[in-house]
Amino acid sequence: MKKQVLLTLSIVGFLTLNSCSKDDSNPPENTQNESILVSNLHAPQETDYTQNPPVASGAFVKFDFETGAITTSETDWDIAFRGTSIIVNGGSSSGIVDAPERNGNAGAYLVDGIFDEITTINRTAFIQDGPMGLAIPTGSGNGWYNYDPNLLAIYPIPGKVLVLRTADNKFAKVEILSYYKDAPDLINEQIALNDLRYYTFNYVYQDDESANEF
Amino acid sequence: MRGIFVFFIFCSIFLWELSDLYAQKNVISLDSITAQELEAVIVSATRTQRQISSLPMPTQFIPQKEIEAINAIRLNDLLDEQTGLITVSDFGGGQGLQMQGLDSQYTLIMIDGVPLIGRSAGTLDLKRITVGNIKQIEIVRGASSSLYGNEALGGVVNIITENPRPGKRSRIDYRGGSLNTYDLRAQYTDNNGIDQWSIFLNRLSSEGYDLVEGDDLRTVEPYTNYTAQVKYKGDLNPSTEMKISGRYYHQNQDYTASSSLSGASDINEFNTTLHLSRSPLENWTQEFEFYTTRYKASEFLDNTDGSSFSESDFDQWFSRPELRLTLATDSSGTWIGSLGLTYEQLKRTDFFGTPEFYAPYGYIQYENQVTEKLNVVAGARYDLHSAYASQFSPKLAGRYQLNDKISLKSSLGYGFKTPDFRQLYFDFTNTTAGYTVLGYNAVPVRLPELQAAGNILNVTVPLENFEEPLRPERSLALNLGLDIKFSSRVKWSVNLFRNEIKDLIDTRVIAQKTNGQNVFSYYNINRVFTKGLETDFSVQISPYLKLNAGYQYLIAKDKDAQQAFDAGTVFGRINPSSPVFRLSSDDYFGLVNRSKHIANAKVFFEWPELKIDGSFRATYRSAFGLFDTNGNSYLDQYDDLVSPFAIFDFSLNNTIGKKFRLGAGIDNLLNYTDPGRLTNLPGRLIYTSLTFKTK
Repeated sequence: MKKQVLLTLSIVGFLTLNSCSKDDSNPPENTQNESILVSNLHAPQETDYTQNPPVASGAFVKFDFETGAITTSETDWDIAFRGTSIIVNGGSSSGIVDAPERNGNAGAYLVDGIFDEITTINRTAFIQDGPMGLAIPTGSGNGWYNYDPNLLAIYPIPGKVLVLRTADNKFAKVEILSYYKDAPDLINEQIALNDLRYYTFNYVYQDDESANEF
Repeated sequence: MRGIFVFFIFCSIFLWELSDLYAQKNVISLDSITAQELEAVIVSATRTQRQISSLPMPTQFIPQKEIEAINAIRLNDLLDEQTGLITVSDFGGGQGLQMQGLDSQYTLIMIDGVPLIGRSAGTLDLKRITVGNIKQIEIVRGASSSLYGNEALGGVVNIITENPRPGKRSRIDYRGGSLNTYDLRAQYTDNNGIDQWSIFLNRLSSEGYDLVEGDDLRTVEPYTNYTAQVKYKGDLNPSTEMKISGRYYHQNQDYTASSSLSGASDINEFNTTLHLSRSPLENWTQEFEFYTTRYKASEFLDNTDGSSFSESDFDQWFSRPELRLTLATDSSGTWIGSLGLTYEQLKRTDFFGTPEFYAPYGYIQYENQVTEKLNVVAGARYDLHSAYASQFSPKLAGRYQLNDKISLKSSLGYGFKTPDFRQLYFDFTNTTAGYTVLGYNAVPVRLPELQAAGNILNVTVPLENFEEPLRPERSLALNLGLDIKFSSRVKWSVNLFRNEIKDLIDTRVIAQKTNGQNVFSYYNINRVFTKGLETDFSVQISPYLKLNAGYQYLIAKDKDAQQAFDAGTVFGRINPSSPVFRLSSDDYFGLVNRSKHIANAKVFFEWPELKIDGSFRATYRSAFGLFDTNGNSYLDQYDDLVSPFAIFDFSLNNTIGKKFRLGAGIDNLLNYTDPGRLTNLPGRLIYTSLTFKTK
């Protein structure tokens, strides 16, 4: 009961906050920047265990925010997924095998907060992939997920928002909701073992290059 | 370093003999058994025999009578029912002890005053210890490193094995029950007034159990284990009493990792103690103790075709000579001084070299009945360590007798736990996921090697951070207690505690690998506290009916986690389709595996006409979390918590004549289980037992 009340309060709380901010900004813009849900983006990965340490390989699944769909284009992609790794179409190779060539100007940064409340675009914060690591770091607790060694499960970190500059200098913010097929409420051992590498995420696309907000 | 060890032993012998030159040959028996019969006397709190009611620190003891009344076979059966204590499973299936909210790795477990080793994952498995030959179990709460050094952060549990009573006696116990669990014990003791010896043998076998159907794994695999203990006590010469004891433990257990991988695990453990004592002067006792123990665990997995998939070994040695002098005077209190040296070595698969530790130490303690009402114990210990900063652990405790009913107690002490071998020397790369874990001391050598091999993408924690040695985890413990004796039958005690722990060791990413995985190592980070209240009430309703009730309230939190919640930087989500919300300070649930409320109630009854005795016991645990289930890495109240539960046990025994005793009982009467999460609860267990003894 207490849980529900708290939950309701928090939902009501941020809905109120949200509506206030909407009132302050330009109403016509909002229709364009709606949150869009992408479900079950499958990002498989091969792992070669005969090598020590094992090497992950396989094609990255590329995503283009402008079309809101996955793409096989060599150039018109913004971010790409393989297993838990997310790369951006900007910067240079980090050394990961089978990564597509980066030919755009994409960048990313992570910010903590509630998705709808993250409205500003901090143009100086974007970093790109490179030999020193990925713009969206891998590893439990470093980037977008936490790894639960008990269930061997990947949980997106609630409140972790990925702010992206696309390959052609537009913007997007992304909130990953699930790493498992059909975004189940609870992950059990079977799901953790069999239904992994299916991304469900929310994003908001800002196609105005000069915008400072979403 | 080996030289230091030999030198120490020579010094001990020299001091031993030197004191003899100046001593009169006047011998006093150390074990004043007569005093123990009158009221519970324990030795663990001060290393001197003290009536439990006179001690200034929170102490507790479990007598043999209770062990027999509940038909316990293993130490975890027994400790789980004591106020403020619960046993907690580790991922390897071991049952560790949680005391005052501190993990099992922070409580020292001893048999007859010497520590048990073999904490392959930090937990000392209580299932290893049979309770068949135990006289009593003593529990001291609060940091006790001032006497016991390493590991005694939360407190100590000392298992006192039985001393032979006069004459020749033998005894056989057999218990069989659910899960094809059979426990057989045989004991022979001989005490002819001059010397005494005893032999104890135990065999326990079980088919284990499987809580989760449909997978290839069993929750607990079938096992068989054996314990043998031999003790001798006699006079080496007219002035010196000698005690020798040896204990051996062996366990073999099946080990299945999947349908295609199976093998076995094997544990071999031995402990030997040589203890010499004499009282060259009245009031003056000197003791020399040499303790050696080895714990070796090996396991292997084979593929279905019989070829080897993996093998791993854990082989730990621990040796400790200790020289102890006690000066007890009636007027000016009791002094204890001691010098000792601990030697430890570990050979382990996935280890960086074969680490060895040397730790010479000394401690001194003074206790005195300052006034008729005030009793004070003050002590301090200094540990030098070959691998860490030296540790100074003082302790001060006092007890004030307000009147003949009420007494007040307080104790303040330091505790420490040195990083274990794993935290320093681990060198492990997971063969399926590809991540690497390096012990702190392995990093400066192994990380450059991995870099040279081209495995490292970038280093996030530079090597300079590994120049200072990893610090031991340290605690400051405060206990404030009140004992009220309403009458000789009704007793009530309350203890407030607070443990402030710093430099807890945790893992962090120190480098990223080219395969997308990370290199982890250990570092001092966490600051944790546990605080709460323990209370115990007992009433002897009649000579044949005793009621006992206990409760603990506990808050156990990580300070940095609490700060993150306070700062509003932690978020939660109920499920993937519901929105994220900010968590507030109150949402932080605390450390994993801690229940806010634990309680127990026990009724012990006897029916002398029918020669029946028995017990009815209940334990309760409020909700707790085992791990984060909503991705924010903290335990919060929106996580999938383990529901509160209660376990009820019942036992009944019938003594037939003087030689036989029949028993039966049901553990977990209501068949409570939580398959995925409470792996230590197999459900309802029914058993019967038979005891035969010659006297």
